[in-house]
Amino acid sequence: MGNFLDSYGFLIVSTFWGALLGLSVYLPLMAGQLSLASPGFYALGGYIAAILSTQVLPHSGETYPFGFVLLEMGVAGLVSAVLAVILGIPVLRLRGIYLAIATIAFVEILRVLALNLEITGGAIGIFSIPQPFRSPVGYLWIALPLLVLTMVLLYRLEQSHTGRVFRAIREDELAADTMGIDPTYYKVLSFTLGAILAGMVGAVSAHFFNTWNAKQGTFDNSIIYLAFVLSGGSRTFVGPVVGGMVLTALPEVLRTIANIGGIPLWLGGFLQAMRLIIFGLLIVLGSMFYPQGIVTPELLNRLKLAFRKQPKRIST
Amino acid sequence: MDITLFLQQFLNGLSIGSVYAIFAVGYTLVFSILGIINFAHGAVFTLGAYFTYFLSGGAVGTNGLLANLALPFQFSFAIALLLGSILSGLSAIAIERLAFRPLRLKGADPLLTLVSSLGAALVIVNVLQYLVGAEIYTFSEGIYGDLPASINLGTAERPIMIRTVQIIIFGVSAVMVGILTYGIGFTRMGKALQAVAEDATTASLLGIDPERFITLTFFVSGFLGGMAGALVGSSVSIASGPYFGIAYGLKGLGVIVLGGLGNIPGAIVGGMVIGLAEAFVPTDFSGYKDAIAFAILFVMLLVRPQGLLGRSRIQKV
Amino acid sequence: MSPDVPILEVQNITRRFSGLVAVNNVSFAVRTGEIFGLIGPNGAGKTTLFNVITGLTPPSSGQLRYGQTSLNQLRPHQIARLGVARTFQNLRLFGNLSVLENVAIARHLHIHTGLVQSIVGTRAAKTEERQTALKALEILELVGLASKAEQTARNLAYGDQRRLELARALALQPQLLLLDEPAAGMNPNEKGALSQLIHQIRDRFDLTVILIEHHVPLVMGLCDRIAVLDFGQLIALGKPEAVRHDPAVIAAYLGGE
Repeated sequence: MGNFLDSYGFLIVSTFWGALLGLSVYLPLMAGQLSLASPGFYALGGYIAAILSTQVLPHSGETYPFGFVLLEMGVAGLVSAVLAVILGIPVLRLRGIYLAIATIAFVEILRVLALNLEITGGAIGIFSIPQPFRSPVGYLWIALPLLVLTMVLLYRLEQSHTGRVFRAIREDELAADTMGIDPTYYKVLSFTLGAILAGMVGAVSAHFFNTWNAKQGTFDNSIIYLAFVLSGGSRTFVGPVVGGMVLTALPEVLRTIANIGGIPLWLGGFLQAMRLIIFGLLIVLGSMFYPQGIVTPELLNRLKLAFRKQPKRIST
Repeated sequence: MDITLFLQQFLNGLSIGSVYAIFAVGYTLVFSILGIINFAHGAVFTLGAYFTYFLSGGAVGTNGLLANLALPFQFSFAIALLLGSILSGLSAIAIERLAFRPLRLKGADPLLTLVSSLGAALVIVNVLQYLVGAEIYTFSEGIYGDLPASINLGTAERPIMIRTVQIIIFGVSAVMVGILTYGIGFTRMGKALQAVAEDATTASLLGIDPERFITLTFFVSGFLGGMAGALVGSSVSIASGPYFGIAYGLKGLGVIVLGGLGNIPGAIVGGMVIGLAEAFVPTDFSGYKDAIAFAILFVMLLVRPQGLLGRSRIQKV
Repeated sequence: MSPDVPILEVQNITRRFSGLVAVNNVSFAVRTGEIFGLIGPNGAGKTTLFNVITGLTPPSSGQLRYGQTSLNQLRPHQIARLGVARTFQNLRLFGNLSVLENVAIARHLHIHTGLVQSIVGTRAAKTEERQTALKALEILELVGLASKAEQTARNLAYGDQRRLELARALALQPQLLLLDEPAAGMNPNEKGALSQLIHQIRDRFDLTVILIEHHVPLVMGLCDRIAVLDFGQLIALGKPEAVRHDPAVIAAYLGGE
């Protein structure tokens, strides 16, 4: 077991980040909002943690205090929330594709800022970010509770009236509006929740990866996180968790296959280069044949039935 | 700012602005017909640059599956540009068939089509990277034949040196804009195109086959996008390899939002405005040049989401 | 409120769509407690007028007053909050949600537990959720859909979907209810039952109802007063008998169809 965790600790923790980032895209999607801003908030959270831990928060000794990491995550979440509200209110008054466009612009502006500002270390970025744990697997102390907590909260959210309102807006925003629901408020709420999550994951990821630079927040990543959600399924929170974990692990699996002896060199190279091609194909084919993703509420209900539990809707 | 420098920057701005313009017209054409943003348009820009590079005799670099491959002959730049743009137009039709049409026939949510176009962009860029590697490709020196590298538009004492390539870019783009304006405003096909853009159902009642026009639109869109890519590529080289077009694709969003989504004259005006705005960024802040289009995009969403020339769209209930 | 007090005043409302005038200088007042019919040939501007009243389409000019409140600058949810609910001619249910959930959504204005409370699962939140479900079931019972509460809305038969639209609007507990062709696609039996139901609802909940309907016998039998629109203009207004014999109305119907 110890051996396994040592060799695969990094990958395991990475899959948790993948799941969480998938959920950060899923949250606005619950209310029907396609946001591509997650990499922006993720990068922002990472810079906040990197700057705080290398320049602001005093520490001595070998390992960086665990509490400081939590503090940074809190700050990152808070800053992301404020920024999301400022960005969300004007943009989410508009319907349709404007959020997708505006969030792309947001990610790009943050990237240009990160490349040019002194405090973010310009093109080189920030490195030697202190470590709270002795090995990557230690990050499970943060990743596991964070994922479990987020999933529990999302489960409760989906059962709550707010979750129901999100789905109603996703189904028909105008009809929801005439039911007395202020769509802008709920759209900004879902967008902000996603931003907070991405910001917090960014903060701890900066420690996890040890260095942080403008490559963390690119358009590519926007699409990749979207692939997590779309392949997993966008109608229950289980979808993005499954999608995020599987697709994060996929390149590693491909790499392992590529290194197996006997496979022709070109195929090995192809498998290594395949990651993004596969993601892209998954997105195209997924939108066509599995617009609901692989994990759907219906599937979950069937699974529940199989375990002899009744599907739970509103209790009457 | 002294007048020489001003003129130089102004002409730089016109030149890059005109490329943005024809690129953005390709974007906005598809939007005007289908009401969706084709995120693969940036990838077509990249394709156009590579196509033209190979047709004008360039060889593949040492990485990638097609390493060192080159055509046994070479076309002049003008022919290569034309053929490259046509190939780009055909690529755009292929993208439409594979990533757009199946969803359209299913009556899928437009958001899903947008997502599908993102996926298509990711596939194209990475397949390209696999085939030709991630190197920077530079068009060969003598590509414009015997033309001098730059021309002096000023006097001998006060030179205003303009790179020939910028004049070519501006000239080609201006011709394209002219052809488009004529084609859309004055031909039967163009008027039909406008009818489909206005309302696909009415158009089909009038006996126009919308699918045919969607194909035509994608061809024109891809042609313009590919040509823009080839022009920029020949000027500054295919920097950042297959990801070359992504940055332009994103900036193009700023251009079409500025002009008004789906508005063709708007895309032209928007392209020129953003090109000029970028040209006049002070050298001290040149690092922020790439953020200008996005800053403008934000301001537009705040104050005038329908764009400079756009009408507000009527929501059908 | 005395029955002669207008609950809704429409004053010189005009709505243009790029050149086309959909509603042209229309004025009328709807009295508290009446069932008010809005009829006219296709394309007469009836639905557009509903959209203007409920804030989905701002008027190009004119005044809208609900009691003492001007509706002109308000957005749809603000108008709903004042007590105005509507149904849609082309059915805008939340298709992937259950029947019960569709009605529960419309209880929005009567739900007071916030996000945090319901996620933590406080006693108040649980009680309210239970009450919401009970209330929703009660309304479903009224329209005859209680047995289908757990079904997905888009799987319902057409007539049931219409009834669900009605249940959803009722769940807002409005004072003014706007019904856009509630009987469309129903057979004569269903139409009769619906007519009774609308009467019953009005009496039971003290509602004022404005009704768009094509089926003339239904309108004549049900409405206290009727307004007739043609090409966006109000051409007649009065008791069903009077409107039925109005030459302008006869001309509009004979000429229009």
